[in-house]
This record gives sequence, C-alpha cells and structure tokens, in this order.
Amino acid sequence: MTAEHKDQVRGCKQTSDAQNSSSTIAAEAQRWQEQTRAPFVSENPERRESFETQALKWPINPLYSPADLEALGFDYMKDLGFPGEYPYTRGTKANGHRSNFWTMTQVTGFGKGEEWAKRARYMLDQGLSGLILEHDLATTNGYDSDDPIVEGEVGRAGMALDSLEDLEKAFDLPFDKLQYLMSVCNAPQPVNLAMIIAALEKKNVDPKDFVLHIVNGILIEYICVGRYIYPPEHGLRLATDCIEYIIRHHPNWAPISIISAQLQPAKANPVQEIAFSLAIACAYIDETLKRGFDIDTVAPYFHFVVNVDMDFFEGICKLRAFRKCWARLMKERYGATNPDAMKIRMMTSPTTIALTLQQPLNNIGRLAIMATACALGGAGDNMTTPLHDEAHSLPAEEAIRVGAALQHIVAHETGVAETIDPLAGSYYVETLTKQMEDAAFAEMDKIFDMGGAVKAIEKGYFQRALGREQYERNKDVEEGRRKWVGVNHLKLAEEKREIEIFRLNDAMEEEQIAKVRELRERRDQDAVNAALAKVKAAAINGDNMVVSCLEAVKVYATHGELCHAMREVFGEYHADSQLGGF
Amino acid sequence: MPCARYLVNTMPTASWVGFKMLKKTRPLRILLAKLGMDTHTVGITVIAHALREAGMEVIFTGLKQTPDMVAAAAVQEDVDVVGISTLSAGHTRSLPKLARLLREAGAGDKLLLAGGVIPEEDRQLLEDAGVDRIFTMGSDTRDIVAYLQEWWLNKSEPTEV
Repeated sequence: MTAEHKDQVRGCKQTSDAQNSSSTIAAEAQRWQEQTRAPFVSENPERRESFETQALKWPINPLYSPADLEALGFDYMKDLGFPGEYPYTRGTKANGHRSNFWTMTQVTGFGKGEEWAKRARYMLDQGLSGLILEHDLATTNGYDSDDPIVEGEVGRAGMALDSLEDLEKAFDLPFDKLQYLMSVCNAPQPVNLAMIIAALEKKNVDPKDFVLHIVNGILIEYICVGRYIYPPEHGLRLATDCIEYIIRHHPNWAPISIISAQLQPAKANPVQEIAFSLAIACAYIDETLKRGFDIDTVAPYFHFVVNVDMDFFEGICKLRAFRKCWARLMKERYGATNPDAMKIRMMTSPTTIALTLQQPLNNIGRLAIMATACALGGAGDNMTTPLHDEAHSLPAEEAIRVGAALQHIVAHETGVAETIDPLAGSYYVETLTKQMEDAAFAEMDKIFDMGGAVKAIEKGYFQRALGREQYERNKDVEEGRRKWVGVNHLKLAEEKREIEIFRLNDAMEEEQIAKVRELRERRDQDAVNAALAKVKAAAINGDNMVVSCLEAVKVYATHGELCHAMREVFGEYHADSQLGGF
Repeated sequence: MPCARYLVNTMPTASWVGFKMLKKTRPLRILLAKLGMDTHTVGITVIAHALREAGMEVIFTGLKQTPDMVAAAAVQEDVDVVGISTLSAGHTRSLPKLARLLREAGAGDKLLLAGGVIPEEDRQLLEDAGVDRIFTMGSDTRDIVAYLQEWWLNKSEPTEV
C-alpha cells in the first residue's frame, strides 16, 4: 500500500459511509483493480478477449461503481427523479405495478373471421384481456383475397379481411371480457379503421367501453417491413387523417403506435431504436400539429411498442432510457407542459429474433428471461409475449397457453413487480441508461439535420444503417463471437420435432375468394360506385379519408377496391433500394 | 402488373479471383426474390451480402413478386440460380408454381433454392415440386455459399474464349 493510498483510506474512515466522496471511491476502485483484480486475472485469464453488450457492442467494464456515475455527470434528481414524475426514468406510473399489473396480451390472426373469433375466444378464456388482430398480407398490402397477386397468402400470416362482413363475423366475441384490441393494418389504415368502426356499430358496442388501438405505423414499413402501398408523403397524410379522426371522434382510443419492435428485428440496436422511433414520432407529430392541435393534446396519443432482446441489461436500460428521451423530447423540442404529454405510452415484448428454430422448447426459457427483463424495465402499460414455436409455424394452442402462463409467472411468482423500478441505482444499469440517452439524442440530431424522418427514408439512411447491422450481427453468430444455444453452441447432431404444429385449413383460401365474389354479386353496386367516387374525390381534395371510407365500407365496398381507388390518386411506391445495406 | 425491379451488383469482389482460379469463365449469377406479399427482408439482405462477398453476382427483384414475375426475370437475366425467401405461409402454393413456370419457360435447369420459415412437413412436397434445396431459418451463410460453390464447380457450362 502506498503512503498516498494510506492517507486516502484514513480519509475514508473519518467520514461516514454516506458521505464517501466519489473521488475516494474512484481511487479505491483503482486500488482494487491493481491490487486485487489484476493479480487474479493474470492467474485466471478472462474467458473472452473483450466483453461487450450484444447489440451496441459497447465495452462492458468488469465492475461499475459510483465513480462511473460521477464521470457521466449522473444526478439523481435530474436523471431519475421519482415514479410518475418527470423525467419518468423510474416509470410513468406513480405506484409502478403495485396497483395494477400491465395488461397481458398476445398476437393472434389467421383464417377467416369466424376462425379468428374462435381462437380469440380461446385466448380470452386463458386469462388474456387484450388481443392483437393481425391481418394477412393480402389485406396489409391493399388487395382483396381474389386478386391473383395474393394467391397462396389469403388468411395465412393473419386474418383475411375483404369486407365489413368479415369483421362482423370476427367480432362475435364477449366484449365484456375484451378490454383492448390492437389492429395492425398500416398502409390501408383509413379503410381498416372505417371497417372496425362500422363493425362495432353493427355489434352495438359502445366505442367508449373499450380501447381500439390502431398501429397506423406506415413510416416504419418504408424502413424495414415493406408493407407499403403509396409513396411516403401520401402514407404520412393517411396516417395523419386517422390520428385526426380518432382524436376528434373517439378520444379514448389509441390512433398511432411507433413499433420500435419492428426496427429491432431488423437489427436496430437500442440507440437506433430509440432515436429512429422518436424521430419518426416527430414526423407524425409535426403533421398532426398542422391540423390545428397543440402538443399537450397530441402527445398523449402516441404509443410505442418496444422489444427486449436477450442482453438483459441492454433491454432493461433501453426501456428506462426510452421513457426519459420521450419526456425530454416533448419538453425540450415541443415545449409540452402537460405531464401526460411527457409520459410515454409503451407496450413491451420479448423479441422473436432471440428465438431459435433449433430445440424450440429452449425458447420458453428465453421468453421467460426476456419477459422478466421487460418487467424489470417497467413493463409499460401492456406486455405481449411471442411464442416458442414461432420459427416453425403459426402458433399451436399449447404454445398460446404456455405464452399466457409465462406472463402470469413473471407477474405473480418472481416478485419483480412488488417494488417500483427495482434496478435503479445499480451502477451498471444507470451507466448504461445514461449512455444510451446521450447517444440517442446525438443520433436524433443527425436525423433532424437531414430534414427529419421522411427525408431520411427517401435518402435510404435508415435502410442502409439497418442493412449493415443485419450483416454484421449475423456474422457475430456465424463466427462464434456470440454464442447462441442450439445454433452455434450445444447443437444437437440430430433433432427430433418436439412440438405440436398448427396447420391451416387449405380450403380456406377458396372459401374466402368465393365469399368476396358472392358479396360483389348481391350488394348494391350503384351505391358502391358512388362511394368509391367520393373516396377518390376526398383523396384529391385533401379531405379526411376516414369519413369517405366509412360511408363506403357500410355499403360493402371491399378493402381492395378502396385501396385501388386511392392507388389511382396517389400512385404506388416502388423502393428500388429496399435492400439499403445491400 | 408492375415490372420486376433490379438492383444489380456488377462489381466483382476480391474473391472473384478465387473463382477464376477454379477455371470458371464467369461468376455464378443468382436471382434473389421475395415471392408474394411477405416483406421480411432481413434474411435475404444477409444472404445477398454473403453471396456478394463470396464473389457471386447477385440480382434482387424487389418485394412483392408473383411466380410469373420471378420466372420471367430469371429467364430475362439468364441467371444460374433462383433463391426465394419466404416467411409467410404461402410457400406450399407459390414455390411449386414457380418451379412449374420455370420448367415451362425452358429454364428447369436453373437451381431453385428456398429459405425462410418452412416447416419440416412441407419439405417433401416442395422437393417433389422441383425445389432443389431448402435452407431454413438459422442456416449458416457459409454453408449456403459452400453449397453454391460446389454446385457451380460441378455444373458443366460452355467455355468462353
């Protein structure tokens, strides 16, 4: 021990523990490194050359202490504050999940309306109170089931939706149990919204009694999902029409979600997820403000869906940084004053890209760990869980039951929800949270300097950035830098199928096609023609498209016909550089 | 119906030198396509990068292609291999149709590969219908590259002067 060091130790003893200055701790940490850790490591070399976070590849120190927080300028009141108060790092709810658990939801959607309703009733019986309705790719890309271009896709990746009749059948549900429905249909959003409103009217459901949540997330479709129809400027206009309609007519509903959980499987790292998502949110906000609303009214309508991957701490810190970045953005960029505007609405989910095709039962373990990370990160208002058999096929009933049980296990058996933000104050967690926040603001500034998210999409900025991440992170696995059980570690020479597989009814496509053709025969064609003409006129005149679509779906104009009417006005978008990183 | 859109990489990479040494007159040409409405592009982006890095000439059709569009593009671009990525469940219809269209267009000799989410139970049906090889999710790009290189080496071709 050096003389100088002895002085420091004596200095320590003279103060109480609570008053230990960080500089003393920094010196102590340095001493520990030299005297205790270094000799040990020279005897026991570390098991890898470098330790880094999984997605960001930020170096991970062997140890974090108050000295790290001091170096970052961490300030408890400024950086964390208290739950339910600005900057909401410790959560948007004043009592965390001690009053209510998050809403537990699961994705469903396949087949015809009546088949979807049967599956939805099963899921509600398993204890779920919210559902997500996914539509098939024919629907999300704006075609009817009998369009030759969608052959083989009808009712496959989600529910087929051609006309109001399909939704009337799908909504044969106990609406007393169903509190929340999320519908995913981005490019044709005004048509989809109109159909849901009309179907609820037919079922005499009071729209005030439950929450419809439309995703309405067209901008991310241009970046990585690809289910776009019209050019980005028109896509943004249609999304804004839906936001405006819902704020004015159904103020208890949710008109927009930024699905960061779509950027993440496209390999956005946590900083990109936060920055891209918030820059995209700003594009919708700026457009909505032009419709005559103020930020304190508009901001509370924005929802986010955020995935958590297997790097436990990257996931937890991302959720905490996300809340704080939104709060700061609303306050600093838009001058929001309403606390509701600064509280992010968030749904969390374990990611599907951590799941493996190999040894699928291992995925139950992964899902449990990721769901626990979601809960430790604050869980958000809702949590949804993917299922362990996703890499094999559409989910089987057993997988749905296990997925639902998993959330209950995290909620009731682990104790992670019994105190608020239990990992706060962890030197590592707070370091990573703050680093993510700083990096996300730097990345956002870059996007704003380009002219915002729509300009960045047109320039292919996001697409290129993600393409690079996709290739590099795949190489990490193939070259063994990232160990992945079943994929490049503990592989089985020969694998037997371990799970039950859900199969679709093959006759379903023909039945759906026959149904929409039969509908076109018996409906009032003159009324449909008049309604479609009104839709086109509204598209040209800049009127809110939801209004004219609502009239049209009520006389049974089909989904594809309405999308085509808008194609004639807006044109179609072809992204030549879809593989931006290519 | 919109035309197929191409993003052609014409710059041979360093490993093309390796191909020349293997006495091939040109690099393997592969058409990568997303068939149908499925628009998940992560897998195909990674494959495109890996094949290009291995010195192959990669052509991408863009999204939302029909079997007719892919078959026409394969013939027009005179590719050696057609690689389809599918993550929706429409593959049991669209892939057999593509294989049939390729045969009808006199292009049955082109290697037809499929990748993505394809349940084990569908493998036989697809192979019987003319899909030459299936690489499901989690396949190593180095295995795909090795498979294509071997196929290409063993394929007889008229030698150019």
